[in-house]
Amino acid sequence: MTRLSPLSVPYRAVQRSASVAFALAFFAFTGGTAFGGVLGGLGAVALVGVAVLGIAGYEIAYFRRFEYELTPDTLDIRSGVFSRRNREIPYRRIQNVDISRNVAQRLVGIAAVNLETAGGGETEGSLRFVSYEEARRIQSEVARLKRGGKDGDAPEPEQELLFELTPRELAIVGALSFDLRLPGLVFVFGSTAFPIVASYVDVPLPTGSAAAAGVGIVALVLLVALVSWAAGFASAVLNYYGFRLTRVGDELQYERGLLQRYNGSIPLDKLQTLTVEDNPLKRRFGYATLLVETAGYAPGSDGTNGSGRASRGSEAAIPLATRDRVLGLVADLEGVELPTFEGPPTRIRRRYAVRYSLVLGAATLALYGANRFLPQEIPWFVPLALVPVAVVAGALQWRHRGYALAEDHFVTRNGFWKRETRVVPYYRVQTVIERRTIFQRRWRVSTVTADTAGSISLVGGDATAVDIEVADAAELRETLNGRLREALSARREARRQSRQAALGIRAAEPDRDADASDSGAVTDTESGVSETPAFVEEAEPTTAENEDEGEGGGEDEGENESEPEIEDEDEGEREGEEDEDEGESEETEVEQEADDPFIWGASAESGDDESDDDGR
Amino acid sequence: MNRLHPRIRILWVARAVVFALAAGGVATAATLFAPVSIPTFVPVAVGGVFLVVGVGFALLRYRAWGYEVRDDSLYLQRGVLTKVNTVVPFVRVQHVDSTRGPLERLVGLASTVVYTAGSRGADVSVPGLTPEGAEDLQDRLKRLAIASEGDDAV
Repeated sequence: MTRLSPLSVPYRAVQRSASVAFALAFFAFTGGTAFGGVLGGLGAVALVGVAVLGIAGYEIAYFRRFEYELTPDTLDIRSGVFSRRNREIPYRRIQNVDISRNVAQRLVGIAAVNLETAGGGETEGSLRFVSYEEARRIQSEVARLKRGGKDGDAPEPEQELLFELTPRELAIVGALSFDLRLPGLVFVFGSTAFPIVASYVDVPLPTGSAAAAGVGIVALVLLVALVSWAAGFASAVLNYYGFRLTRVGDELQYERGLLQRYNGSIPLDKLQTLTVEDNPLKRRFGYATLLVETAGYAPGSDGTNGSGRASRGSEAAIPLATRDRVLGLVADLEGVELPTFEGPPTRIRRRYAVRYSLVLGAATLALYGANRFLPQEIPWFVPLALVPVAVVAGALQWRHRGYALAEDHFVTRNGFWKRETRVVPYYRVQTVIERRTIFQRRWRVSTVTADTAGSISLVGGDATAVDIEVADAAELRETLNGRLREALSARREARRQSRQAALGIRAAEPDRDADASDSGAVTDTESGVSETPAFVEEAEPTTAENEDEGEGGGEDEGENESEPEIEDEDEGEREGEEDEDEGESEETEVEQEADDPFIWGASAESGDDESDDDGR
Repeated sequence: MNRLHPRIRILWVARAVVFALAAGGVATAATLFAPVSIPTFVPVAVGGVFLVVGVGFALLRYRAWGYEVRDDSLYLQRGVLTKVNTVVPFVRVQHVDSTRGPLERLVGLASTVVYTAGSRGADVSVPGLTPEGAEDLQDRLKRLAIASEGDDAV
């Protein structure tokens, strides 16, 4: 059991009493002096003192009653002064470990650690505060224990710097950021403060002509724009200063922030989709934004994100970088180059042109109607002059639409003003939806959406191929489904092999703990055992482990019983063949299974185990 | 391609009728309390239009609906104005419900709802099954989902 950093007591006490004391002092003092003069003021001071003492006492108790421990399987936290809470978080469930330090914390050398699991809005594990070294140790220990490592036996994972924001890029991000919160705050504050101030000071109220008022409004708008731009610039610089994205083993780690440093980790296997976002301006100068989407992580909920960008995606989103670097990073993370896109058929250009023209037509009609009923003349035909613009806009929209089936990814691109290129690995596809509105049917096109389990998707769109030929859409629908299946079985195969390799190493010294903590154990070992008889014989000494696996592997035993010949042939093929063939052989396997009730029964057990373990 | 049970039409048509009556009622109320006088045929016409359109849609919807349990996925097609075809791979099925609402029970039908972790097609529902059919479909989907042995569903 470990305690928090002792420094957290004074820090927390000061932090808390500062706010409480301020509020209390304000009310008590104004109230006290109003009622009891000097004596009341002294009473107020005493009250504040008592409150501060109480807070200090509470914080000491909090510190003494807060303990955490990194056990082999879970992170245990026991906390609570009045109501106690013991919480155990399994490492496999931990999605992110975030560390943050503001200026004061950095001076004192402490850090706040947040551990996030999927689901639930609140942070599941929160350590306030530990020393920075301890925070980093927790971060790396969680990552190591998640992999099922034992003390000391896992080599330090290699670090690879993926991305670093250059000062120039930071400046551009800042220049493009607007933060409306500060002007909003000033407005709210000003509107409430003004009457108070005005009651003391004789503020000359503007009494001028309409023109002067107009000038005033314009000046005000300009001022607001300037202030919000400055605030945006400041918050972007504060947030993204020193942004670095590193790959450490199988995790992404980011750090950023000028005054308050953020430092967090995102497991690579939790990545759902990548989105490259740009607009005409960014395209012109060759820049782009990258959004990284994970499941169930709602970052930015702590309200510390300035530009609002981070709260949309994840903390690992790259605010801005040259297009090449963004694409390079996509290639690094997902191993995919942006392919050439296949756009909607050419006639769709007309569809978009017609669509925009209809909007213009409606506007014209509305203006015409207004013209009829209003006393003065309105140039109602003006929108018609924009018809060429509609045609161009249609063509542009058409040109920026497209989809592509890369080797392992479904890639789509949509939008002209905000062009979003989404990269979805096939194995992340949840459902495939093809839809055709009544208007699309007239143009003989339909839209195919690959739904994923992301968090941005709730607000934005999923990867969508819009307005493609009906026949293509049906084919795409089936292809996506097929590729999902192939990708999944290829992943299973890969995991099985790595698993086998791991078992091969461990055959010398059986390691039960590590297996128990690995969710894939059931699926992986069951195949591993039956398919490498040689290995099983070798590993005979570690009987406990292998017997266990044998039980879990009822499915394979069943298959061998019913159709030993075919299974063996399958095996031979599978060993040497490419991924796709493996996918097919898996497919036949599944079908065979589906015909045999015994196998269902057997795999039902293992399936349950797995789903238990593996929900995000 | 499997069709829904024909009795689902009763349900949908009944729903359309109720909706049309409600619309007619609202229109009637509006006529009674409106400051300007509205001819009496208006609420009737409103109800009638809603009735015709609603019943038409109910029947068309029945004709458009179809589902198929394929080797590796559940395939649905539906939609009157917007045709929607959905493929739900069994690997992605989180859980399967079979439900019977009070109205469904009246006509002796049930529906099966398939849940995935997706954000958009998170739940796919197949209405208009006989109770046995719904349970059978639920059972089949469950078994196929287990057999397809997905790794992490998210």
